[in-house]
Amino acid sequence: MTVGLLGSVLGVAFEPPSTRDFVFDYLVGPVKIFGIEFGLNYIMILLIIAVAAMLLVFYLAFRKPTIVPGKFQVLMEGAVEFVRTQVVIQMIGPEGLPFLAFLSTLFFFIFFGNILEVIPFVSFPLNSRLAFPLVMALISWVVYNTVGIRRHGLVGYLKLVMFPPGVPVAMKLPLALIEFFSVIIVRPITLTVRLTANMIAGHFLLAVFFLGSIVFLTGVPYIFAVVPFALAVVLVGFEIFVSSLQAFIFAVLTASYLAGAMAEEH
Amino acid sequence: MIAVLTRLWIVAQAEDKPIKDLSPKLQELVVGAIAFAVVFVFMSKWVIPRVNKLLEDRRGRIQGDLEKAEEAKTEGQQMLADYRQQLAGARDEANRIIEEARRTAEAMRRDMTGKAEQEYQAILGRAQDEIRGERDRVFQELKSQVGQLSLALAERVVRETLDKERQLRLVDEYIEELAGLGRSAGNGSRDGGES
Repeated sequence: MTVGLLGSVLGVAFEPPSTRDFVFDYLVGPVKIFGIEFGLNYIMILLIIAVAAMLLVFYLAFRKPTIVPGKFQVLMEGAVEFVRTQVVIQMIGPEGLPFLAFLSTLFFFIFFGNILEVIPFVSFPLNSRLAFPLVMALISWVVYNTVGIRRHGLVGYLKLVMFPPGVPVAMKLPLALIEFFSVIIVRPITLTVRLTANMIAGHFLLAVFFLGSIVFLTGVPYIFAVVPFALAVVLVGFEIFVSSLQAFIFAVLTASYLAGAMAEEH
Repeated sequence: MIAVLTRLWIVAQAEDKPIKDLSPKLQELVVGAIAFAVVFVFMSKWVIPRVNKLLEDRRGRIQGDLEKAEEAKTEGQQMLADYRQQLAGARDEANRIIEEARRTAEAMRRDMTGKAEQEYQAILGRAQDEIRGERDRVFQELKSQVGQLSLALAERVVRETLDKERQLRLVDEYIEELAGLGRSAGNGSRDGGES
């Protein structure tokens, strides 16, 4: 708003970023399959690139793994080891190791989807599209509930979820409702919204500052572009941090939900 | 986050239909799920097993190396102990040899001293014998010269008083005496006697 105002004052055309920036037209298609529209747009291309990049990176790193690793192998081993120690072992413990593949997939899928936001000429985080976090949140929801039900049975799992120990009798019922609501209904929503909103906000921030820099550069005194551009550069660093942090948080929370579902009955 | 949502909501009111802009599309859900599945299969079937195997191999390798190093260390220590023992043995041997050499040398020294002593005694004995013989010879010679001198002196003293007969007898005795002297004394002594 202020930026737009400033732009109009400076007499430069400035289009503030809007939600329109998150919609892309089909380049190919769409085709209807089972009543669902499928078409190739920027987002689908980015998704294909992200998945291909992920597969390629891991393939190259572990194609010919050596006992004494090269630099690249060390990097990727370190990444997997990070998920193993900081997510799986930290949150669940050694019995969570069967979920290492699942949690690593979550972590790297989200990270690769996020980091696109700071890649030059891409500049769009996949996870700012609500659908991708939602898919992962739903998968996560299915997984931890399935684990809980398989371990404790449906009734046992619901009891575990709804009746935490040490609650006064009077509080049992309201707390049971709250717990059910928070564990079974809210969790996937918070997972989705946290990631999506972070990525939308990040994209907006970068867009505002970079577009603002351009406005100032094309407008009168160039010197005004210094501050927004410097901030934009700083924000790129910040967004790299946010990208990895959000991937980590998503994976850690899923791990903690799994740990809760695997917990022994009270 | 709430601020962002509120802002989005405000934008949604103001603009076209931003909620529809941001809302998930069915194809994204489907393709997203497929992409996730692809990555998950790749991770669980290829990456994680490989990483696990790699770590296992590395652990085995490191453990093996450590064990080998431990073996080498004990072997080295064993060898060192052996060498030390051998060294100590060699030192004892050397000491023994030196001791033996010293004893041999001592024995030889004593032996040689004994021999030298014997020789010395023999030489001394011989020298003493010679000296004694020489002395006897000189004594004999001296005796004869003393006889001659005393006779010569006596002759001069009594020349006039002796008769012919007695003179002859004395001459005979003198000759005989000389003959006795000549038998016992060497040639050199007569030279000494005449001078």
